[in-house]
Amino acid sequence: MDRRSAIKQMFVLAGGMMIATSCSTDGNATSIILNNIKMSASDEALLADIVEAIIPETDSPGAKTLQLHLFVMKMVDDCHSPEDQELFLKGLKDAKDLSGKSIAETATYMQQLGPKDGFAKMIKERTVQGYLNSEYVMKNKLIYELVPGRYDGAVKVNS
Amino acid sequence: MANLNIDSEKARTYDAIVIGSGISGGWSAKELTERGLKTLVLERGRDVQHVKDYPTTNMYPWEFEHRGEMPYAVRQENPIVNRCYAFHEDAAHFFVKDKEHPYLQDKPFDWIRGYQVGGKSLLWARQTQRWSDFDFEGPARDGFAVDWPIRYADLKPWYDYVERFAGISGDRDGLPELPDGEFLPGYPLNVVEKYFKQKVESKYPARKVISARCAHISKPQPIHIQQGRTQCQNRKLCQRGCPFGGYFSSNASTLPWAAKTGNMTLRPDSVVHSILYDEAKGRAIGVKVIDRNSKEEMDFYAKLIFVNAAAINTNLILLNSRSNRFPNGLGNDSETLGKYMAFHNYSARIYGEYDGLLDFKTDGRNPAGGGYIPRFRNLHKQETDYLRGYAAGFGAYRSASSDRSGFGEELKKSLLNPQLGNWGVGSHMMGETIPKAASYVALDAQQRDDWGIPLLKISIDYDDNDAKMKKDYLDTMEEMFLEAGFTNIRRDDRWQPPGLDIHEMGGARMGNDPKTAVLNKWNQMHAVPNVFITDGASMTSTSTQNPSLTYMAFSARAADYAVKEMRKGNI
Repeated sequence: MDRRSAIKQMFVLAGGMMIATSCSTDGNATSIILNNIKMSASDEALLADIVEAIIPETDSPGAKTLQLHLFVMKMVDDCHSPEDQELFLKGLKDAKDLSGKSIAETATYMQQLGPKDGFAKMIKERTVQGYLNSEYVMKNKLIYELVPGRYDGAVKVNS
Repeated sequence: MANLNIDSEKARTYDAIVIGSGISGGWSAKELTERGLKTLVLERGRDVQHVKDYPTTNMYPWEFEHRGEMPYAVRQENPIVNRCYAFHEDAAHFFVKDKEHPYLQDKPFDWIRGYQVGGKSLLWARQTQRWSDFDFEGPARDGFAVDWPIRYADLKPWYDYVERFAGISGDRDGLPELPDGEFLPGYPLNVVEKYFKQKVESKYPARKVISARCAHISKPQPIHIQQGRTQCQNRKLCQRGCPFGGYFSSNASTLPWAAKTGNMTLRPDSVVHSILYDEAKGRAIGVKVIDRNSKEEMDFYAKLIFVNAAAINTNLILLNSRSNRFPNGLGNDSETLGKYMAFHNYSARIYGEYDGLLDFKTDGRNPAGGGYIPRFRNLHKQETDYLRGYAAGFGAYRSASSDRSGFGEELKKSLLNPQLGNWGVGSHMMGETIPKAASYVALDAQQRDDWGIPLLKISIDYDDNDAKMKKDYLDTMEEMFLEAGFTNIRRDDRWQPPGLDIHEMGGARMGNDPKTAVLNKWNQMHAVPNVFITDGASMTSTSTQNPSLTYMAFSARAADYAVKEMRKGNI
């Protein structure tokens, strides 16, 4: 195997984003390397169910397929304060019983936490962010233009 | 051995040395090399070549590890640079991190720096409004600082000259307070910006809302094509470096032009320690450089020296250039060096909404950013209880957003069907501040940086004049917003340290009298005639207009003068 493809294999795409994969042989390790928070493979699976409940698969891919759980993990690990991280891990722990439950039950649990719950808010905001900024959505649904090449300050809105 | 030394010294001797490769240094380099001078350009940071060294320029949002957001640890380690609006994942590599070149804050001051070839010209906001006699006559009329030794007429041909080359877009508005220039077609105001213009100008005839003038190529001319630049593609990702050369930067424009003459030697990683002064000759003879990486010390020699290190670093170099003749810094007979610094007051914004013209939206992106309100306060005469005035930006935008309150399928459906809401409107102030002796930078007596150069102490603050002006800006804009029928008006009176405006100026000011100024009307040191300073350090007062275009004009004018003086044997 050449160096290039070896390196490539160490990356997975989460919402179109490259994330370094974990090389651990530990069976319960997360699939990406985390530097600050400690999570297990089962936490990761639980988080995947939660993000899927927030943005489910319909006629288009949902959060799990777009690997938004990995995006949420990456952002919580790198971009949040230690207090937020603690809140996140505690929220996951409290949600442990959801393992193996249906999407509907997971959705009910998360919604019951209410919009002010720090854990629920963090996951939802990051999931929505990851979704809207995913390669899938930006290429297929709400098109992002890298090079618009124009500006029109008065376009009639089609009613 | 003697011969070796002579050869080595010869190899380190040029006609001219330019310290710094940012907006003003790039212009100095271009003008000097075009006039045939073998020119050494010293840059303290790493090399950044146009396009090749813009690693993020063509990245899509999803390709950024954190979607543009800076990691928590980086934000914690960099409280200063993190406050800069452009310090994100796509451009963080062009900013100096807080620990890389520390300084001491007697008073809070955000010193935002870009140490690389091209300097902050890669990162600037590209607003290019000319200064006028309302600015150059300000200190004399209002009794602060010293009189500018020039007037608009002295600079006008050089504004024309640099604008044609750099590519400046704008409308010809016929306003004496904001003179017209050699413009490429301006970017249009959008429908709500036009509406606001009409509302404001009919109620307050002395106030104008015009399209902001900017250093973007709206319609390339042969001179831009010759530089390898082309039309701005409205990406508005400028801080990453532009592969089209759509906006002006040293990297895209002046430096490759200077290189093409065959007369430029560019030396990155060269931290200038001081300027070498020869008492017998009464001239500067070169500069002492510390290699950024190896820390090796070396001297370079030239007949002519242009200091373009950016306002504060220019002061640092001059203050650290001490000799028997100039114990307190090169050319500092006036004892004003490092003093009379000022900046722009950017500490207030105001936002609102507009629920009219909802049958319109915008399409694409406007690199000019929208509207510009030139200074109208105290313009013709003093009318308020504070001196000078403010310019303001004004922009209207209408974007589609989605209701995010739902969950599951409902949320997903809503996210994929964003709806146009009301127009958002916003303005920010750009206030002139008064240069004072109490606003200064100085060398710390003990602490040194990684290159053995004293740390700089910065002591610059807002004053009562700034507070009164800010209140007037907020009251006046609110009144104009109400007049236009805007709703949900939010005043944003924020604390932000001086410096975050990235318009620090002064310290080595121009003035006719050598007893009160460091530079004469040619940006030439009164006391050391072969040293010229054409960056922000040279500014006698700050105007309200963005200063970069004026640095370009000063650089070209001073280089032209310096070479003529050299040829006459005066330098």
